[in-house]
Amino acid sequence: MTFEMLFDVILALMLVWLCWRVLAAPDLFKAVVLFIVYGLLIALAFVRLQAPDIGLAEASIGAGLTGALMLDAVGQMTGRRMPWQRKDEPDRKEADHGQS
Amino acid sequence: MSIETLYVAVAIFLLLNVLGGLIRILIGPARGDRMLAAQLFGTTGVAIILLLAEGLDRPALRDIALVVVLLAVINTVVFVRFTGPPEDRAGETGP
Amino acid sequence: MSVLDILTAILVIIGAAFFLAGTIGLLRFPDLHSRIHALTKADNLGLGFIALGLLIQADSIAVALKIVLVWFLALAAAATSGYLIANHAMESNTPERSDDV
Repeated sequence: MTFEMLFDVILALMLVWLCWRVLAAPDLFKAVVLFIVYGLLIALAFVRLQAPDIGLAEASIGAGLTGALMLDAVGQMTGRRMPWQRKDEPDRKEADHGQS
Repeated sequence: MSIETLYVAVAIFLLLNVLGGLIRILIGPARGDRMLAAQLFGTTGVAIILLLAEGLDRPALRDIALVVVLLAVINTVVFVRFTGPPEDRAGETGP
Repeated sequence: MSVLDILTAILVIIGAAFFLAGTIGLLRFPDLHSRIHALTKADNLGLGFIALGLLIQADSIAVALKIVLVWFLALAAAATSGYLIANHAMESNTPERSDDV
């Protein structure tokens, strides 16, 4: 068994295990961070599949931009005061409680 | 043993490092711990890609390394700007 | 193997050892700030030694400059994110401390 084959086997096993952990994570933030790492490893897999262009797209879109968008979404869901909101403005979470 | 074999062997070693560091993402108590581990994996992935670019003789891979190292910091900045402090974690389950 | 190959092998193995130290520090250190301390140094020096080892093998000036550019961007990224995460962690603890004072 050459080293390239060993690399591929370890990478494939890590991808399957990591995919299961992403889907089974109860905490949303943990799932998002695991998804970022998953995008990086998928890019490595495309590199090993002799497709550097798809690896480039996956590294930029999957690991970089989608991860940032999902982190932003998790921040919105847990009720963070946004940087452009004033200090004396009521918190989003409290405003939601007031309406309900 | 040629030098290309060494590159791929070190790449396997770094991949096993990533596998070990995933434990910190899974158990990490604070959110910052998890982002820190993701940052380390970004750098480790860059090292793996640079080693594979030399070991497999594919110069196009260095561009992927450049993109990965450029976009790794964006995740951290978004985390710091848009994600709440740890006390705000209401209705979130533990690890 | 020529002398340059042996030098490259030594530098790459030193870089891998730094990455191992960073991962062990990430797993074993007790709190967030000491983890940042272990990890940023391991980040910079690990990638730095691997880039230096590959720099010796570079065919042309353009390839060498690209590897150096990757390393400098990694330095900037590690410094920025280390500061931001440490600042975020301290900011999260600020209300409790100001109450104590």
